[in-house]
Amino acid sequence: MASDNRAFNSFEMAQAQFDRVAELLDLDTGTRELLRDPQREYSFSIPVRMDDGSSKIFRGFRVQHNDARGPSKGGIRFHPLETMDMVRALAMWMTWKTAVLDLPLGGGKGGVVCDPHHLSAREQEQICRGWVRQIARNVGPLQDVPAPDVMTSPQHMLWMLDEYEAIHGKKLPGFITGKPVGMGGSLGRKEATGYGVVITIREALKELDIRPEDTTASVQGFGNVAQFAIEMYERIGGTVTCVSSWDQEDQKSYAFRKVDGIDLKELQGITDRFGGVDKARAREAGYDVLPGEKWIDQDVDILIPAALENEINSDTVQAISPRVKIIAEGANGPTSPEADLVLAERGVFVIPDLLANAGGVTCSYFEQVQSNMNYFWDRDEVLGKLDLKMTSAFMGVSDTARGQKLYMRDAAYLIAVDRVAQAAKDRGWV
Amino acid sequence: MDRRTSGSDSIPFFGRDFLESAETFTRIGGGGLGGKAEGLISAQSTLLRIAQDNPFHGVSVGIPRLTVLGTDVFDAFMERNHLFDVAVSDLSDRRIAHAFQQAQLPSEHLGDLRSLIEEVRTPLAVRSSSLLEDALHRPFAGVYETKMIPNHQPDASSRFHRMTEAIKLIYASTFFRGAKAYRQVVGETAESEKMGVILQEIVGERHGDRFYPHLSMVCRSYNYYPTGRARPEQGVVNLALGLGKTIVDGGVCWSYCPAYPKVPPPFGSTRQLLNETQSRFWAVNMGPPPPYDPIAETEYLVEGELADAEYDGTLRHLASTYDAGSDRLVPGVGRDGPRVLDYSPLLTLGDIPLNEMVNTVLVACEEDLGVKVEVELAMTLPAGLEGEVRLGFLQLRPMVAPEEAVDLQPGELERPEVVVATQRAMGNGKLQTIRDVVFTRPDTFEARNTRVIAGQIDKENLSLVREGRPYLLIGFGRWGSSDPWLGIPVTWSQVSGAKAIVEATLPAMNVEPSQGSHFFHNLSSFQVSYFTVRPGWDRGIIDWEWLQSQETVTQTEHLHHVHLAEPLLVRVDGRTGMGVITRSTAGEEVGRAEEKPTEE
Repeated sequence: MASDNRAFNSFEMAQAQFDRVAELLDLDTGTRELLRDPQREYSFSIPVRMDDGSSKIFRGFRVQHNDARGPSKGGIRFHPLETMDMVRALAMWMTWKTAVLDLPLGGGKGGVVCDPHHLSAREQEQICRGWVRQIARNVGPLQDVPAPDVMTSPQHMLWMLDEYEAIHGKKLPGFITGKPVGMGGSLGRKEATGYGVVITIREALKELDIRPEDTTASVQGFGNVAQFAIEMYERIGGTVTCVSSWDQEDQKSYAFRKVDGIDLKELQGITDRFGGVDKARAREAGYDVLPGEKWIDQDVDILIPAALENEINSDTVQAISPRVKIIAEGANGPTSPEADLVLAERGVFVIPDLLANAGGVTCSYFEQVQSNMNYFWDRDEVLGKLDLKMTSAFMGVSDTARGQKLYMRDAAYLIAVDRVAQAAKDRGWV
Repeated sequence: MDRRTSGSDSIPFFGRDFLESAETFTRIGGGGLGGKAEGLISAQSTLLRIAQDNPFHGVSVGIPRLTVLGTDVFDAFMERNHLFDVAVSDLSDRRIAHAFQQAQLPSEHLGDLRSLIEEVRTPLAVRSSSLLEDALHRPFAGVYETKMIPNHQPDASSRFHRMTEAIKLIYASTFFRGAKAYRQVVGETAESEKMGVILQEIVGERHGDRFYPHLSMVCRSYNYYPTGRARPEQGVVNLALGLGKTIVDGGVCWSYCPAYPKVPPPFGSTRQLLNETQSRFWAVNMGPPPPYDPIAETEYLVEGELADAEYDGTLRHLASTYDAGSDRLVPGVGRDGPRVLDYSPLLTLGDIPLNEMVNTVLVACEEDLGVKVEVELAMTLPAGLEGEVRLGFLQLRPMVAPEEAVDLQPGELERPEVVVATQRAMGNGKLQTIRDVVFTRPDTFEARNTRVIAGQIDKENLSLVREGRPYLLIGFGRWGSSDPWLGIPVTWSQVSGAKAIVEATLPAMNVEPSQGSHFFHNLSSFQVSYFTVRPGWDRGIIDWEWLQSQETVTQTEHLHHVHLAEPLLVRVDGRTGMGVITRSTAGEEVGRAEEKPTEE
């Protein structure tokens, strides 16, 4: 990774992206100022009594970037290197993501500076409850709806919901999404992001007039998003020949290649709970075990980065095979602006993160709707709606890109920013 | 994705614009498309030719828009939901259907299904189209389910639910008891069957709370029941008001020979005609939602009466009016009086050239397929003489026509060894493998018990099929009638092991013999002889005394099953309609005919 990464500031990058689109849309100064920065930011201390009897203060954040189109929506990250700028950038991207999908939501993000790997379950529960106690008046089903994100899980969401309901003295399952199924969670949620990535790939293939059966793909990452993306991609007829995964023990990633196509179930059977594949058993099963970065230079038609930010950068972009026709961004921000320029020049069809991985937030929205009604749909209903929503968002972005001769990412931003700006205008804010 | 099968390869994938697309025949998912869909694929070019020739002004002929779920979708559904154990178990049909309803459809196709339902707000037929049906060229009508859904709810989610429930019902019906027994008869296993599902717009119009076509038709280019001057090769057409379920279920409908469209079926008198023509019809229920029952085929169907059709204004081209003064029928509904569905305005007055259209379609299909055919059609008519006629082509199947000649002389119907004889037999050929006879008891028979009898026959059939024993079935009234007062309401799968069937009459059940339903297509395909016996008429004989003296296997209040020491000899002369079943006597030709089917 990444010489681009040295002075990397996510929020500055997000603002730069916005400035470019604002220019394209010729937004007025007031609108630019409104959308360039978050509407509201909360930073607070969460005191926790640790298992050893000591007290520790954790720093918590919540940023509501914009709620002109509806309640803010965005995850809560537990990360030792969490910063306010990172949370601001992610909140802004959530605003654009919900807008490009045309969901009636705004964008938000939250976080706590902590490393759950070194915290007991009880301590994590205390952080969750403490976070809610600090912000309970400023979030809620009609204001700001949190969700799981990096290193937070359905269990964390349930603790937060329980605290929130205790404070308000009533049941409010629509306060938070990503809850366990049966406790207010939605069927189809765990599959939604990965499936959504492949729905956009499927539509891109249609535009390029390529049959899925005639394509191969390489996937970075073997977590939840990647595994479900692989499952769906294989179901529509494609063949995945390479996946990479993070090895917790070696603290580095490896790529696992089988030219005839990986066996998803087989790999899942030798994967630990962090998504790390057992190298020895993979070799026994006939996989080539390669350095992690080799996922990117495979001779395939489709690349699916579904793990980390900034993986396709000015250093790595040249390694991409000339055969690659589509890059579908399963992860957030996997491509640097410099790499974007190269890909655009090469004519690679990039499905931007904003669109490609929006299946998760779309299903979160479905969960919110179901929770507010306290009436839950079956899985077919959820995934059928997801497919339609993703397909129509893809078509919108792709039509704009073609019509205005824009790079797909720019087209997605253009649609999103335009929608939010219009909502702010309609409300009389600017 | 598997892309096997012939015609299906040419079918484009569903493009999420069901109503607007130039493609009216699409597919979702890979694999085969099943017999019904393949039949329609082969009909496409025929219909295109007819449309190009454009012989009928103001008539649009075509296959209603449809998309087919390929058998890969079925495979994925079964595998991902781990349904095979339930499917092959001995659970009841309801339990199997329930388990299937709990399962999830393959997620990669949900978007297509959802988009179809978001766009379409008119009734849809969800039809089975199985692979065995295609591979064996055998009809599976009445074995697998077809469900009509009104699809008119304002909420797309409700419509989506109804459609997915219907698809799952069709999948479940692959493993219903009747289907399993049926496959056993044809020597196939559950694993060898795969199900395609056709989602098709229903031809019809909405009239208040009812949606139905003016006319449904089943037309065959070979007639196993010719009457009067008609010859078998001149074919037969069955007509019914409303959905084709009336014909498929063996209900009361109107039959005529395309060579003699003005000749009515052989009714004894006008009064009899008045009493015995169709008086009820099926429609899709567009009214208030019915009780929730996703595993019932008729959940969204409603039966109307002639008065309802008159209120809807759909009788104009179909009915005549009975004039009591002259005891005759006057074509049309211009005057007051009881209405009779005799289709005189179309067949006699020629309001619309119905018979010419039917002939054109039959001849063209027969030419293109090179065999006798059976087609299903549905038609909507204009309110007046002007306006568009829509002729929807629903199904095309090849028929098996008899070729082997059996020469029976009238004297052979009166010999002492005769068990059953008639001059109104259907089929052609000889058979000498039957050692079991299942018959309804003439001494206890009452029309009100026909449903109970149907259940008991089902049971006997199942055990005989399991043991591989073909049997002779004798009962009163129309076999397979949906009206229990007209006959025993069995489905084909409930009598699938019978190799010869006798339709007899009693004073308590003296109705016109059943004609023209898919039941008969099953009979011919499985080479089952069919005897219509009216003791005392047409040399009709049934030797009840001899039957009752044979070794009893089971006996209930209504049904008797006997086992014979020697096999019966079944012979039918297809040219004369004479048929005779004789008990074995020494010196007769036995054995040589043993392996010969009744119809080749």
